[in-house]
Amino acid sequence: MRGIHIRGTFAAALLGVLALVGAGAPPATADETCNSPYMANLVKGQEDYLYVWALGVKGLGDGSDKLVTIDVNPASSRYGKVINKISVRGQGEAHHMGFTDDRRYLWAGGLDNSRISIFDVGTDPARPKLVRTISDMPAKTGYVGPHTFYAMPGRMIVQGLSNAKDDGGVTGMALYSNKGELVSTHAMPTSEGGDGYGYDVAINPQKNVMLTSSFTGRKNYMRALGELVKDPEAMKRFGNTMVVWDLKAMKPKKVLAVPGAPLEIRWSLKDGDTWAITASALTSKLWLVKPDASGEWQAKEVAVIGDPAQIPLPVDISINKDGTGLWVNTFMDGKTRYFDISNPEQPKQTYERVTGKQVNMISQSWDGTRVYIASSLLANWDKGGADNEQFVRGFSWDGKELKPTFEVDFNKEKLGRAHHMKLGAKAMKAAYGLERTATLR
Amino acid sequence: MGSSAPRRCAESRIRPLVTVLVAAALLAAAAGSGVGAHEPDDTIPGAIAMDFVPPTPGSYALPPIMRAPDGAVLDQAGRRQPLSRFTAGKITLLGFIYTSCADARGCPLAYQVFHTVQHRVSEDPDLRERVRLVSLSFDPARDTPAVMRRYAAGAPPNGVEWAFLTTERPRTLVPLLDGFGQDVRLELDDHGRTAGPLAHVLKVFLLDERAVVREIYTTAYLYPEVIMNDIKTLRLDEQFRRRSAP
Repeated sequence: MRGIHIRGTFAAALLGVLALVGAGAPPATADETCNSPYMANLVKGQEDYLYVWALGVKGLGDGSDKLVTIDVNPASSRYGKVINKISVRGQGEAHHMGFTDDRRYLWAGGLDNSRISIFDVGTDPARPKLVRTISDMPAKTGYVGPHTFYAMPGRMIVQGLSNAKDDGGVTGMALYSNKGELVSTHAMPTSEGGDGYGYDVAINPQKNVMLTSSFTGRKNYMRALGELVKDPEAMKRFGNTMVVWDLKAMKPKKVLAVPGAPLEIRWSLKDGDTWAITASALTSKLWLVKPDASGEWQAKEVAVIGDPAQIPLPVDISINKDGTGLWVNTFMDGKTRYFDISNPEQPKQTYERVTGKQVNMISQSWDGTRVYIASSLLANWDKGGADNEQFVRGFSWDGKELKPTFEVDFNKEKLGRAHHMKLGAKAMKAAYGLERTATLR
Repeated sequence: MGSSAPRRCAESRIRPLVTVLVAAALLAAAAGSGVGAHEPDDTIPGAIAMDFVPPTPGSYALPPIMRAPDGAVLDQAGRRQPLSRFTAGKITLLGFIYTSCADARGCPLAYQVFHTVQHRVSEDPDLRERVRLVSLSFDPARDTPAVMRRYAAGAPPNGVEWAFLTTERPRTLVPLLDGFGQDVRLELDDHGRTAGPLAHVLKVFLLDERAVVREIYTTAYLYPEVIMNDIKTLRLDEQFRRRSAP
């Protein structure tokens, strides 16, 4: 019956509905504030699902990395509950995810095993399915630790963190087709001031500019944090640069000095704005990247985050849709801070709240009234004992106060360490790609 | 509904839109039908301003992305032809359209960009015979060969091939959409009935002479200047390949 139903629907659409409707999805200037500008189907209303890419913990549940789906629609009887989970084999240091440009597939990476898991989230957003695994990225590209997944038209940029030769920080980007075939590789620059390190990717199509940031290699990110910080030589092996790329040519144009591991990059989404902001993890600062009066791209420090001497370790940031506010999570003190960035040259912290004993990722709804926070940074960097809270927490935000709305305890539910989050919408449940239709006919 | 809704266009707007498109294109084509003629205006509502100078042809690579799919299509005369007839042998700019689309940032934008590219290619003796444009409908029910003929009237011949194609039925269309990775979404209500718009992410594909996709554009990057440079880059690639061939 399912096949008949879809067949009928498809025929109806192509026989009748198609002529009644518009074709071009609105071009995205951004996703739910922090994704690729090439993304379609922005969730601008109430999101229904939160996808969480969780690190497996030996002895906890099945011990495997998994994609967890949480119902986050307050109108649902299952609000705040886990409604689906898909395990992938073993513990590969699950980390970040990214949608394809059509939002049908969610790519998720393992920093340790360098595996890329591709989930179909378009056919039934409430029940994602693992449809492909890419296991040969190191062999084919020389890069390991697939970190950022950034949609391009019909393709996916995968930013590596390390390399297969020495597990150091010199790495590069791999470009895959949406079907999962390798298209090209692009080394991070190691000359003209480049350190060769990589972390995040963010694109401004109108300027033909891609920005990248830099972190550290596998030898460091898989090492226990307590040991790492006591090793001065290892602590030298962190990225201190950002790179301005000619996007069309995929060639580096300029290396910017941004000391202290600049991580997440966010372009302002406000029409007419031409600037991006990032936080340097080790130096605890906000940096602004924009062209100067002569059009030359520059990076400059514009604010400190907490007391840098205490190493609060800023991790994820989330910019609001009009480029006036920025959430900053600091892992060590478990604080979520809000900066007024209406003047990006002088961000001002206006709010902070302890949201966990350790906090890392933060995502917000398009309108900024709902905020989601996850706990885990890296398996070997998370805190121990009672401080090792593992959760996803939902909050409401009225511009003055973060108020808790729900919590999923990932330890109690034996799900592992909660890391990256992406939003999904029930409306997509009814969205059938033609590939699926074809498969079913 | 949680997701941002793709834009609808009311049925009553379909005919006026086609009329406007055809009329505008006729005017532009009439003005631009000869060497040195006035170039059609490529600034239409919905176009996103390009604020950069694209890299010069040949200064960058366009690595192969995927092989274009093949299958049966109908030309304007209603003849069944293999799509490969329109994707191989020339550098090809291919986009999926349907003639009733009114979203300024959708098919009309692609049409206008195609028209500008057609004009610029016509002025380049090296490219004129080596570049083809293809507009392939994914509305086989309404976009019959006759409708496509009327639609094509907006782009009278100027020496650059522009094929307006459709398919016989969804069964023949689907493999082409799948092969190109052109997503189309249907929205259904809780009872599984079509309840809302059908939408797609606007994608335009640039193919080399061997029908391999070398670039994919969407609304946020659909600029005639960029496309022209990419076409010239592929032409340089082809010339280099032929020189290097044993």
